[in-house]
Amino acid sequence: MSAERENGLLEAIKERYLEKLSPEIFRSRLFWKTVEGLARSPLNRPQWKADRVSLSHFIRSTRDAYLGKAPVVWCNLLVPSELVHGLGCLPFYPEMAAAVVASAGLAPRFIDRAVEEEFSSDACSYHRCLLGCAVEGFLPRPDLLLSVNYPCDSAVLSFAFLSELYGVPHLVVDVPLPGREEDLPLLAGQLEEAASEMARLSGRDREGMLRGLAESIELSNRALSYLRRVEEMRKRDDCTLDGKDAMGNVSVLAGCMGSEAGVEFYRLLAEELRERGCRGPRSLRLMWMHLKPWYAQSIFQSLERHGARLVCEEYTHATWEPMDPGDPFVSLAAKLESHFLVGPAERRAAHLARLAEEYRVDGAIHFNHWGCRQSCGGAPLVKRALQEKGVPVLIIDGDCVDQREYQEGQISTRLEAFLESLR
Amino acid sequence: MADRDMAWFCAYTPVELIRAAGFRPVRRFGDPHGLEAADTYLHPALCPYVRACLAQALDQAPPHHAMFVNCCDGMRRLHDAWKALFPESFAFLMDLPRRTDERGREALGREFARLLGALEEFAGRRVTPDDLLRACREERELQLAYRRTVEGLWGAARVAAAQAAQEDRAPAVEAADHVSTGVPVLLSGNLLNPRGLLSILERAGARVVWADLCNGDRPFTAEAPVTGADRPRILRELAARYLERHPCARMADGERRYRLLVERARECGALGVIYASLKFCDSYLYDFPRLRERLRREEIPVLRLESDYADGHAGQLLTRVEAFLEMIAG
Ligand code: SF4
Ligand code: SF4
Repeated sequence: MSAERENGLLEAIKERYLEKLSPEIFRSRLFWKTVEGLARSPLNRPQWKADRVSLSHFIRSTRDAYLGKAPVVWCNLLVPSELVHGLGCLPFYPEMAAAVVASAGLAPRFIDRAVEEEFSSDACSYHRCLLGCAVEGFLPRPDLLLSVNYPCDSAVLSFAFLSELYGVPHLVVDVPLPGREEDLPLLAGQLEEAASEMARLSGRDREGMLRGLAESIELSNRALSYLRRVEEMRKRDDCTLDGKDAMGNVSVLAGCMGSEAGVEFYRLLAEELRERGCRGPRSLRLMWMHLKPWYAQSIFQSLERHGARLVCEEYTHATWEPMDPGDPFVSLAAKLESHFLVGPAERRAAHLARLAEEYRVDGAIHFNHWGCRQSCGGAPLVKRALQEKGVPVLIIDGDCVDQREYQEGQISTRLEAFLESLR
Repeated sequence: MADRDMAWFCAYTPVELIRAAGFRPVRRFGDPHGLEAADTYLHPALCPYVRACLAQALDQAPPHHAMFVNCCDGMRRLHDAWKALFPESFAFLMDLPRRTDERGREALGREFARLLGALEEFAGRRVTPDDLLRACREERELQLAYRRTVEGLWGAARVAAAQAAQEDRAPAVEAADHVSTGVPVLLSGNLLNPRGLLSILERAGARVVWADLCNGDRPFTAEAPVTGADRPRILRELAARYLERHPCARMADGERRYRLLVERARECGALGVIYASLKFCDSYLYDFPRLRERLRREEIPVLRLESDYADGHAGQLLTRVEAFLEMIAG
């Protein structure tokens, strides 16, 4: 579910259910009826029409996952959702679930539960949070766990634990390092293996599998063409979509590609961006790197006070080309391989430098999420690459999920100083 | 570093290929006491071994030829920083699959071929199948020599001998290193400083009979020699040997790893397991709850410790270790 954007809704759900919060609630039809009702009510005031589409998609598929309406496949951020949608399974992205839990302000309890299980507090809190939720029985039971060896080690490792917890198989997809085109067939083979496992779960034969995948890839291509339009429009001066909201779309980019909702989401967003036009005067243009603290708004308020806008974000842009529905595994392998987090950090740095240039940013902020070896680890290199292009960079330490680790004062002092220096 | 020295860091580095191409593979252990020197390039919440290695290299004269394994986020970041800092030196990032099955062997065999190609190009010479087989034989000799050397050696002395072998030098074993007292335990983890945490374990009265560390016994566990008539076959077989070893926690076959660990503990008469790992190594952070569960089922007691590699404060762990040893020896 795209995170804090539906806060009014989240608050309403919390108000009704917080006292009774238990794993059973999520398995009750009544609960989901109420949630769906609330989502349609005026309490849900999405800023963009498209947000209604993604919200109802995620509510529906999460409900179906809890109620066991189709096989549930847990995926980490880089698992191409086309693969899962195309096989009639329900993709569930527990890292995204952790972001939702965080935006509801409920993460600490689950993080502590994982630490009780002896998961170290030096580990990424997305994972500690989701592990705590899983151990307490709060998440929809998986039928299969599927992880890709990027962006980070955490997913592969925590899924291995979950595989034992739930007694279900865990498939690891190893994406080869960049520059090894001749290894793409090996990657495609692994994706095919995962697809066959899912086809077994959903009772599809090979023909049904290929048909389903062709459909989901068609849908993904259509969503991609709208997404490209969105990207073009966001390059304008003072486009009305701000990155603090757009960042929630990481869940759409990860989980809705290959579904009708993905197409509809980006179609509506492109349409509304065009209709709303732009607003002046020209603000300071910033790029956000890694993800944001899902529970905190103050950081963005200080950006606003300084007339700064986030014009692009690391995680919400397309990095792949349209795919061939007739050749699903090779296409999806190429999509995976094209991701900027696959391989050395110079690839990530190049992605960010390209965004900085195309979106004409005046500065960039890297949010160092505690325990994220891949992003914090690469931050110094990224910083240098951007500085070489004349883009000033601010690195702030924090935690996207655990609000207790948020040093309000320290962050705002550094942020203010940075913004002053850009003026 | 000498011109022919090729630094390496992860125990999955195919040192045979480095040797066959005419280089001298030398594992680096870094400077555990000067990590801060790496701060500008690597975040302080990254593996201290990785940071220690970069800190040490910053202090040494070029060349900085090195070969990296894409085994974890930390190592990948070490490669990134190294390449940016020492652009004139040879640097190769070798992929390492997580799977150890047929697909894993195939992927690793191909990766070995790529690495060998890069080494040949850099060395300006062609490596023949004979060169490869010779290097494999030499490496096997070294491994067997290690196993002979460590008979009757425990703990710090054992790990120091393993490190010497990985640094391509003869171990200096003193008669005093052969001690036979202490409570027998199996030590499991990533990589530990023999002069740090390991010496604390000894002071507390532990006799580490097997060191499941990547700078301990783990890399010396491949059994069969490598054969094969042509290059692709030799490389595939070599890949299989690497994947057969007692696995590191970053590999996907956790089940096999736990089984081997339990068997090993029983075989060498360990009364318990000390699980100690370097801070910020995700592979071991996430592994522990699963392993603990498995050991509980097997009724093998386990103590968990953490190390910052320099282990300046490890003395504080003394009482915990003593209490554990007392409990298992009880
Ligand atoms: S924040 Fe970093 S470590 Fe955590 S799940 Fe995301 S990429 Fe992985
Ligand atoms: S702990 Fe494992 S992955 Fe890390 S260096 Fe050692 S063998 Fe390689």
